[in-house]
Amino acid sequence: MAERIGGDALRVTRDVGIGATDYPSRVTRHTLRISSGEPDFVRRVEELSGEDVFACYQCGKCSAGCPFTSGMDLLPAEVLRLLQLGDERVLSSRSPWVCASCLACEVRCPKGVDIAKVMEALRLLILRKGETGLTWREIPPGVPQIALVGATRKLTP
Amino acid sequence: MSNEAKAFIAPRASHVARHAADKSPSRVTRHALPYFPGCALKDQARGFERAAQAAMERLGYELAELPRWNCCGTVYSLSSDDLMRHVAPVRNFIRVQELGERRLVTLCAMCYNTLRRSARFVSTDPERLQRINAFMDEEPDYAGGVEVLHLLQLLRDEIGYEEIEARVERPLYGLKVAPYYGCMLLRPREVGIDDPDRPETMELLFEYLGAEAVDSPHKVECCGAYQTVANPEIARERVLEIVGAAARRGADLIVTSCPLCTYNLEHHQLSVPGDASHVTGDKSSTRHALPVTRHVIPILYFTQLLAFALGAPGEELGFEQAAVDPRPVLAQRVGG
Ligand code: SF4
Ligand code: SF4
Repeated sequence: MAERIGGDALRVTRDVGIGATDYPSRVTRHTLRISSGEPDFVRRVEELSGEDVFACYQCGKCSAGCPFTSGMDLLPAEVLRLLQLGDERVLSSRSPWVCASCLACEVRCPKGVDIAKVMEALRLLILRKGETGLTWREIPPGVPQIALVGATRKLTP
Repeated sequence: MSNEAKAFIAPRASHVARHAADKSPSRVTRHALPYFPGCALKDQARGFERAAQAAMERLGYELAELPRWNCCGTVYSLSSDDLMRHVAPVRNFIRVQELGERRLVTLCAMCYNTLRRSARFVSTDPERLQRINAFMDEEPDYAGGVEVLHLLQLLRDEIGYEEIEARVERPLYGLKVAPYYGCMLLRPREVGIDDPDRPETMELLFEYLGAEAVDSPHKVECCGAYQTVANPEIARERVLEIVGAAARRGADLIVTSCPLCTYNLEHHQLSVPGDASHVTGDKSSTRHALPVTRHVIPILYFTQLLAFALGAPGEELGFEQAAVDPRPVLAQRVGG
């Protein structure tokens, strides 16, 4: 069952056998725009990442293999799609901040898109404005420095 | 080679030669390899290094710590305009160059990945290298060409598993070991030590040591990495999936090559309370809203298992820092 929840977003309800479960999902119906007039932020993402976001043909393989989707509001393929559409909602998505640069998507994309680089570029657009993606909480004892340095490098300006 | 470097390598290399001589008179090797420890191996993962040295001595090699090494940067920058992030790795390559060496051995998977990617990045573009050299005007220029290796590659490709098997003193018969690769040994493909989806480097090593390798679908999936400080719930979800899968397949131990994987696997598996009625995952997540069972599996570094099989005594195995003591299960399956 699918119901519209605003704009082009659909809420799809599926029965997965262990009781009906709600899967929030945004299914867009636009066709791929072929033009050189993308908004600035899309060009900036392409520059920073060195990736062509229009190479993505929405197969969904990146989303299928990403181990972090349970914490994401947009699946990796959806992030790519919104970039193709120049949709600014991608800039306020939580997904780049949950991405752990694990590269599971990168090794599997049949179009050779390095999605992790796109995620990093989206973070950098925000971080370079001086905003942070990390609020320090209490650090559990024994956390190795590599976790602290890694988080600081990826998630803070 | 500079005098400093010679003085650095000489005393312990002779020790290795002596050791090799009384282990096997036919072996006249005295291989001293420049080795990059990284910060975690001097702190939370001391056993990883201790056991590596013990194992390598028994194989006739010496891991000679790189003089004046500095942090590798931990995570590789994925941005195209971030040349600064390559300065730290390149400084280390200059140290290798000063020794007159071409290779740098790493143990920590994160150091391996960051250094190896950086070595590739700067060597594929002379202009980049020139800009970095110009920036570090207090250092001699880096000429390129340093090869970053992971110890597993050295064991597999240079020493060879048959050679290792011949030196096993405590075969691991009856022990079920689940290798956990995580991300940094395998991805991206250009720097991976094995097939990113179906690696078998560790499986084969453990089989040559006499153990049974337990395959698990999550062995190449991320443990949560540094998200453990930003989004600990997600890291926890990852770990419970990884540990649960290995446990259900009967693993006695999980073996890693990364101090952050080890921390995550240890810390989050122990966060599950004793009763099985517990439910994991945040409320908005449907995927993991299943009861979780508490599994408590020792997490070891591959060097510890290797050193153990090669007969290294307890004090050289560095088990003190393990959150779950591996000694009972090792004693039970293999015998002290
Ligand atoms: S795997 Fe590649 S082509 Fe497929 S949806 Fe993801 S980015 Fe697009
Ligand atoms: S790199 Fe990021 S987006 Fe890609 S699979 Fe890993 S967590 Fe998901």
